[in-house]
Order: sequence, then C-alpha cells, then structure tokens
Amino acid sequence: MEKNLLAIPDLCTGCNRCTYICSALKEGQFRPSMARLHINNFSLNGYSVQSVCFHCPKPDCLKACPEEAISKNAETGVVLVDREKCTGCGECVTACPYGMINLDEEQLAYKCDLCGGDPSCVKECEFGALLFQEPDKDLRKLRGQQMKQRAESGEPEDKRYQLGKSIMAAARKE
Amino acid sequence: MNLYKGKVLIVNLTDRSVKTEPLREEWKKDYWGCWGMALRYFYDEVSPDVDPMSPENAIVIMTGPLSGTNAPLTSRFCMVSKSPKTGTVFESNGGGSFGPELKYAGYDGIIIRGKADGLVYLKIDDDKVSIEDAAPMAGKGIFDTEVMLRDAVGCQEAKSLSIGPAGENGVPFACVGSEAYRQLGRGGTGALFGSKNLKSIVCRGSGSVRVADMSKYLELVNKYKETDVKTEDNLWAKTDGTPLLMDVTNDLGIHPTKNFTYGFDDNVAGLNSEAMQAAKIGDRACSSCVFACGKYTHINGAEMEGPEYETLVLGGSNLEINDLETVIRFNRICDDLGMDTISCGNVIGMAMDMTEKGRKDFNLKFGDKEAFLKVISEIAEQSTERGKDLAMGGRGLAEKYNSADLSTEVKNLEFPAYDPRGSYGMGIAYATSERGACHMRAFPAFDEDVFDLDGEAESVVNGQNFASIKFSMCVCDFWGTVTTDIMADLMSAGLGEEVTAAELNKSGERIWNLNKLFNMKAGFTAKDDYIPEKVMNQPLEKGIHAGKVMSTEAFEKAKIKYYELRGWDENGIPSQDKLAELGLSQL
Repeated sequence: MEKNLLAIPDLCTGCNRCTYICSALKEGQFRPSMARLHINNFSLNGYSVQSVCFHCPKPDCLKACPEEAISKNAETGVVLVDREKCTGCGECVTACPYGMINLDEEQLAYKCDLCGGDPSCVKECEFGALLFQEPDKDLRKLRGQQMKQRAESGEPEDKRYQLGKSIMAAARKE
Repeated sequence: MNLYKGKVLIVNLTDRSVKTEPLREEWKKDYWGCWGMALRYFYDEVSPDVDPMSPENAIVIMTGPLSGTNAPLTSRFCMVSKSPKTGTVFESNGGGSFGPELKYAGYDGIIIRGKADGLVYLKIDDDKVSIEDAAPMAGKGIFDTEVMLRDAVGCQEAKSLSIGPAGENGVPFACVGSEAYRQLGRGGTGALFGSKNLKSIVCRGSGSVRVADMSKYLELVNKYKETDVKTEDNLWAKTDGTPLLMDVTNDLGIHPTKNFTYGFDDNVAGLNSEAMQAAKIGDRACSSCVFACGKYTHINGAEMEGPEYETLVLGGSNLEINDLETVIRFNRICDDLGMDTISCGNVIGMAMDMTEKGRKDFNLKFGDKEAFLKVISEIAEQSTERGKDLAMGGRGLAEKYNSADLSTEVKNLEFPAYDPRGSYGMGIAYATSERGACHMRAFPAFDEDVFDLDGEAESVVNGQNFASIKFSMCVCDFWGTVTTDIMADLMSAGLGEEVTAAELNKSGERIWNLNKLFNMKAGFTAKDDYIPEKVMNQPLEKGIHAGKVMSTEAFEKAKIKYYELRGWDENGIPSQDKLAELGLSQL
C-alpha cells in the first residue's frame, strides 16, 4: 500500500513550522504563501486545519490538464507537474477542489511533490500533526472525511479556508 | 536584503498619508530590531515631554531580524511609545503571527503619527497600503472586529492588531489584541491606538524573508532547536505553559492573594496547572514555536486560549476567586474588550480591599464572582461611576480615596503576580523598569538568595540588559536558555556577516540606557524608582516568607547599588563615561 501525507488537525497548533521549512526548501526563502501546504488558523476557536495535497487516487488536476503535464506515479502515488509541458493555462487550479495547486510568478503550476518520498514538513512537525505513512483504519477514515470536503469554486486560498472551516466546525461540535 | 526588509512604513493619520522610507541602516548594528530599533526610532520621533494621548505622540511598531524565519520562538514584534499609563517610554511585545506577516508584506516596522479625524483602520496588502473608514467597527469588541477586517480585506488569513471599546474610550490600561487571544498587554497600547482614532491595522503579506545561506541557516536552527530549545529547562512551556507557575510561586511564598495580603493561596488547586489540564482541549502556538504554551480551555461553555499565570493570579487568587471557569470568563471578556488582565485584575483586587476595609463601597467583595464579572465591561465602556473610578488604576484610586496603603503600583503600572516581599529582587526590578512594575525586564524571583540585596541588584542589571537585546531580536521569553552567543550565531548565518555576542551584549546595555535617557528627559528622577508603601510597611502574611517586609532603608541601599552597577550616579543619572562608552553622548 502506498504511503500518504496525513494531516491531523486536532494536533495542529498553528505554529506554521511546516510552511516555513517547505518554502525554505522549495523556494530558497521563508515564504509561507508559496509553501506546498498551508495552515488555516481559526484563532478565536483555538483550532488550526492543515491543507495538504492528497495526491488523489483520481486527481482532478490531472484530468483537467490539457497538456498532459500532470502525472501520477503508479507505484508511489505521487502527483507531479512537468513544468516543461505546463503552459500555465490554470485549468488545474480551477479543477483542484482543495486549493492545493497554483500558478507561481512564472505562471507555471506548482504543487507538493512529497519531497521525493520523505516530506520535510512531517519531520518538522513537533506535535505529530503531520504523518507520512500507510494509513491504518482510523487514519484512512480521517483522510476520507477530509477528501470528501470539496470546494467547487473560488481562489485556492478561499477553497482551503472553506474546507478548513467545515473541518473545524465539526471538530469543535464534538 | 537578508533578514530585514529594509523598509519602514510611515503613516500620518492627520493628513491620511502613507509613505515608505528605507530602514535606518546606521542604527542596525546598534539597535538590531524590535525593541531596540523601535526605541531608537521613537527617540527621534517625539519630544520626551510630549503628552502621550496627543496627536504629537507617535507609535512605533517593529519586527525583529529573525522574525519570519524558522528560528524557533522568534515571531514576536513590539510597540514602543510614551505610555498614557506611566508617562514613561515603554515597550510592549506580542506573539502570534502579525510580526512575520508584516515582514512578508515588505516592512520591518510602522511609524504612526498624528490623529485621524474619524475612526479608521490601516490596511496593508503587500505594497498596497491605505487608510480606511472604520466607522462600522466602532464600539465593537476585538473578536468581531477581527472578523469584519478579514471580510473587508477579503482574506481569511490576514493578521491584525485591534482595539476594543476600552481602547476607544481611552482606558489607560486598554491593550491591543491580535488573533483573538494575543495582546500587546501592558502600558496602554490600546489607549494610544484610541487616541489616534486608529481601530486596527490589518496586514496581508505574500512575500518572503531571505537569509544569506539557507542550508547553513537551517542547519544551525536545527542544531539549536534540538540541543538548546527542546531541553529540560524549557519543556515546561510545552507540557504546562505558564499555569505551572501557580504551584511554584505558592511554594516560594510570593503568590499574590487577597490584594497582595498573603503570599500563599490555600485554594490554588482550583486554578493550578492540573486544573488547567483538566479543562484543556488543545495546544496553541505562535508562529515558529516548538512548544505551544497556549492552552485552549473549555468549561461549561466558557472557552478561550489561556488563561496565563498572571491572569490566573490577578483575576483569581488575588481576588479570592478559585474557580477556573470564572477566570476564563474574565480573561475572555478582557481580551474582547481590549484590556490588560494584569492591571484590570489588580485594580479590581484593590477595589475589593477598599470595599472590605470601608474606604469606599464599590459593591465588590473578595470571592464574589458575579460582581467581578459584571464590573469588567463597566470599566471598558466607562458606563458607571465605579467603572470610571477603576479605570484610573491603583494610583488614581489611592489618591481619590486616600488608600495608598492598599495600592500596588510603580510609576502607576500595577504589579504583576510576584510579591516583592518574598523576592526582593522583584522589588528592585519593578522599581527600575522603564515602564513601572513589570516582570518582563528582569526576573530574579527564582534566584538562589532572593534577599541578598547586592546580589539581586546585580541580577536585575544583568536581567534587564539581556532582556533588552533578547526582545530586540524578537526572541520569546520562553526560550529561557538562549544566549547572546546563540543569537549572534543565527544572526551571522542569516545576515551573511559576522555578528558577535559582545556587540549584542553592548547593545542590550545601550538600549536600557536609552530608555533611561528618555525617561529622565520626560521628568523622571530617582524618587520615581520606588516600591510602594504596602511592600515597605505591611508584613506579608501566609507562606514561607510570612512576616517579611522590604525596609525603606534596605531598598534605598539596593537602589544605590543598582545605580552604581549601571555606571549611574546616586541620583540615577548615567555618567558621561557610560554614555560615551555606549555611543549615547550625542543623545
């Protein structure tokens, strides 16, 4: 079974160390807005929800790409953008229901690549709120619940926030 | 540019103009950032005799060089101005993520001048900066205001600083709130925003902070994180947070109880770390923190991030209230209305004491939860006589009702939660802080011999100098083992040029002395470095130091020792040699 990047919002403190390290390694600078994962903070409710790329079994971004620039590795499951083929049309950005792929300043798509199979964000998390492993039954269920939340429209940031908000609301109701 | 953004935002609210200026390069190596840099700017900005609440006063908000990077516990930012509470220059710093966000927007700091002719907020969206009408937010609490701001700028991850009704109404201990439960707590930051008709600053930044050599920087951060930050000495912040101090100060006999009558609370179990853990539903962190000392609690529908130690004491033990739910409610109301829980709790304790002793009936009794929770909004809204009275603070109440013996303040800033009669060093720290009774400058409460006055005077000097540079680097107090060697190391890797511990140490002393120069010019003299009558004349009751007072004679001797160690004369005036040594002769 393939390993998944798993987010456990109940354990997330909102420290953003994951977005710091991600942008440092991918962009060479501390720039959380360009990180490949994001933290949605609901300070008043004392809750944070991570937005991670699920590397979906059937990726909407892949389906939407007219250039076949997005591929999914059959073995590892990782979904990657071939920036040589990308034309910056933005179809993938519109298609991703989780707000997890976007265009950079060169107008080319970028997204999480799981750091080649050893995600830095997971190693950076001090609270066990990010995991990279084969999910057990409970984690599979958690991932499933998160993936079920799909935003149909909006900018990536708005989609993430919308999904995060419903996850927060469900957690705080318990 | 590495670590810094090299730009400061200059906002004039009177003519509603906004411009940017380059960061003053010539001050960098002497003042570094945050407190030091803000102070240096402020010193240039106003005349020391300025009326704090007048348009001529300025507000300087500054981030630190390490902010926005992943150096642990470095997200703090500060505000420096002249305090409406104390009349001194003061610094107040806060965590969360406003500091990093401001840097990502492209600015090291903001200078705010003048006064708007109607309630406004400052909107920063990277390089688009504007002054907007805040009329719809008038009178709103900070929680609602934050929602309105995020909607108004169309970004849910925007960070903000706001005031509530207390700030709008000029309550001298009103504070500025950020991300609901984080504050620039002490000294009247909120009143200053209010005096300028500034409701909020909202900021969204999509940019970055750069370092000279990323792989070297990350390697160093990782090294210190593992070997110095996440160590036995500091991990209390992760497991317990500040509520751990409840039992500690009780054991030390310095736990303020019943308006600083007792040094020991018999009923601390209702409010200690165990009680907090039972109510905790989550851990909350500032940006870049590895601890998450914020404990999010929930009891019977009352919830919030906190309370912290100081609030648990001044809104709990010191009022003989030992019910965590009530303290949570108190804290949440203060955070929403925008009031410092230390000063607010302290002054309510004094009012309860005055009521009990028949000085003035405020209809507030020790242990009366209902009356306690009711009076908070009266202070913020200034809606009743007693609300107006309490807003005057400890000194104001003492003067109006002849009750100086019940007041615990220095320079009109109310005591935090450590009784100096069981820790003489804390008394010296309160007396000599630039902003009055403050525990964030030197913290000698845990020293080996807390009654050795000479040793404590030295401990206070060292603590103040170190806090001055640590807070100028935007490092959180709770990285308790950090040294100037470590800070210099991180700075060197980040900047790409050598920074030494020696120059940072010197800067700490320089910053402290520049505060002193401002306060001298603002009219403060040695007689303002005092500890109140209550500590001098009334023996502490209960706890291991029952019976202790701090005699006038002993205190005055310690004060002279403190001045001497600082290179100041017996009147507390820095010598020309000292000023020359610190490069302050021209100031």
